[in-house]
Amino acid sequence: MKAHDPAGDSAAPESGDHARLRAMPLTDRSTLRRLASRYLPRLARLGVLALALISFAPAPPRVVLGPPQTVETHHPEICVHTRLTDEVEEWKIQRTLALVREMGAPTIVEYFPWPYVDRGEGRYDWTHSDRIIRHAENQGLRVIARLGLVPAWARPPAEERVTSLTYLTEDYFDEFAAFVGAFVERYRGRVEDVIIWNEPNLSLEWGGRAPDPDAYAELLRQSYAAAHAANPDVRVLGGALAPTLETSGSAMSDLAFLERLYELGAAEWFDALAVHTYGFTAPADDPPDPGVVNFRRVELIREIMVRHGDADTPIVITESGWSDDPRWTNSVRPGQRIAYTLDAFEQVAAWPWAEAVCIWNFRIPVDQANRRDAYFALVSSDFTRKPVYEAVQAYARGWDSPYLP
Amino acid sequence: MSRLDTVRKWARRHPRWTVALAAGVAALLTLWALTRPGMPLGPIDLTWHRMQVNRDFYVGIDPSYPPFAEWTPDAIVGIEPDIARKLGERMGVETSILIMGYDGLYDALYTGEVDLILAGLRADPLYAEWVHYSPPYFDAGQVLVSRADAPVGEMAALDGKRLAVEIASAGDQAAQRWQRRLDTLHVERYLLPEDALVAVERGEVDAALVDAITAREYLRTHSGLVRAAEMTAPDEYVIAMRRANYRLIEAVEASLADMQADGTLDAIIEQWLGPEPSTQGERNASS
Repeated sequence: MKAHDPAGDSAAPESGDHARLRAMPLTDRSTLRRLASRYLPRLARLGVLALALISFAPAPPRVVLGPPQTVETHHPEICVHTRLTDEVEEWKIQRTLALVREMGAPTIVEYFPWPYVDRGEGRYDWTHSDRIIRHAENQGLRVIARLGLVPAWARPPAEERVTSLTYLTEDYFDEFAAFVGAFVERYRGRVEDVIIWNEPNLSLEWGGRAPDPDAYAELLRQSYAAAHAANPDVRVLGGALAPTLETSGSAMSDLAFLERLYELGAAEWFDALAVHTYGFTAPADDPPDPGVVNFRRVELIREIMVRHGDADTPIVITESGWSDDPRWTNSVRPGQRIAYTLDAFEQVAAWPWAEAVCIWNFRIPVDQANRRDAYFALVSSDFTRKPVYEAVQAYARGWDSPYLP
Repeated sequence: MSRLDTVRKWARRHPRWTVALAAGVAALLTLWALTRPGMPLGPIDLTWHRMQVNRDFYVGIDPSYPPFAEWTPDAIVGIEPDIARKLGERMGVETSILIMGYDGLYDALYTGEVDLILAGLRADPLYAEWVHYSPPYFDAGQVLVSRADAPVGEMAALDGKRLAVEIASAGDQAAQRWQRRLDTLHVERYLLPEDALVAVERGEVDAALVDAITAREYLRTHSGLVRAAEMTAPDEYVIAMRRANYRLIEAVEASLADMQADGTLDAIIEQWLGPEPSTQGERNASS
């Protein structure tokens, strides 16, 4: 049925502004022309002025990849844990990784949290991860990826239960494993080591629930399968247990947790064991003792592996180091920090079963945000290289340094 | 014709506009003056107002740094809690010490949970927009220590001499800067600051550049050494307050100045760190 045409002029299908303009009385159209001729030049001048003002605004630093670099080092066991996931500015990512290379560390551990890339329903936004991997590759660095945290949709709603980003129940292990698979698939041939979860023997890392080795073994099993399905050559690192003597609802001894993992047959679900070992106030050669948390506690971990017939599985120390915070009772003097750190490298080089020791941490985005981490860092937020950085660099590259003991 | 002449000419031609402009400027200046802190139309320091009404005073302290602040089973003790209590006493209010982790201190100040922070803070430009820092109540910087029979008062006097430092410390970095300024400065590095002081005693070096707290403790039992009067590399501890609390800032700084003048501050520090060792000048004066 044809629409009613009150004007009786439906032959020309004109519509919108043009038709309305034609329908205007002549006087209105001439007014418009007069207004346009009066104000358009002014608007044009204002536009030019705005463009000129915009051109005065400082341009964001332009980041370009330079020629591919290689790491020069006499000590390939040196590794650092970077914190680039929270670094917004790309030039800072590039500068950080350049300093890692210049220091002579060929390997980094970096954190790639699931919720940071997850966009729901199996979709991921890899923009920031791509940026980090691209710059690490450009600097000639090997990346060990630490995977963890949980997006909001995989946690109970806040009105039902208040949780943290580490709250992961068995119902969502398959979803986490899917993320592991997607990550491994995306960075196939570029990232060959992934750490599954962080310090699962702490309640803090389970969203406040008691540490549960059985649950972690299941998470490891599913993640291992997903990772190897995506890339058979990938190496899955399990463990990353926190060194602790505590046995309570908030923490479980790393040694007991690992024993339980072996009892559950979890050795089948990791290709290397990630270990966290800190010296606190003791030197690197302080002898291992189940009742003491020190650097050589890693030897007790190794004993458990050997006892369970897993001697061929290598250890990667993915977190270690000493703090020189004058306000902390678990810290040491700056010179002791240097001496202990270099001794730790020597010890790891002498252990055929240990591949690397990654210093926690290289640099954090804002020192003021976390004093504890700031005093573990080798470089301050403003990129000032601390004496310990210069000492490690001199050690790695065979240079003279006033800070070498 | 100068620009001033042009303005005069314009003013003569437009007397009404000139008067109106002058009146406008005067009004703006008056408004600006009246709305300054402390003036009748100025902002009210609500924290100070609350303190006057409730007679209370909340201080944020991180008790992880003895003897500056320590959490014992009985109480929060140390230099900083004592300073906080004395400040409260002098301002006529009751001090409540709130203990918190170091990283939560500025958040607590920002949200108004505490009125000030006393926790070995250094002035930090990152917070300058909203935080006011008091003058220092303690200087933990690097100080020169030398033998009393061969005193060294300043770094410039060390040309051609030997200096001991704690390796990788702020003293070490200061010594490296001085190596560039002097013709020759031999720097000997030791693992601990006490080792550097032993080297001075033994005559292996001419002076040591160590932190003031270590120097203070060591010199208490080693009378053969003296410290320089001035810090070579200061490291000043200050009190942080919200910039908006101008009346509290005035009151705290006045109380702190009084405590410095009447010896209360020194007495608190001496109670926890022992008496301040005499400087080279004081030794000379007494002898």
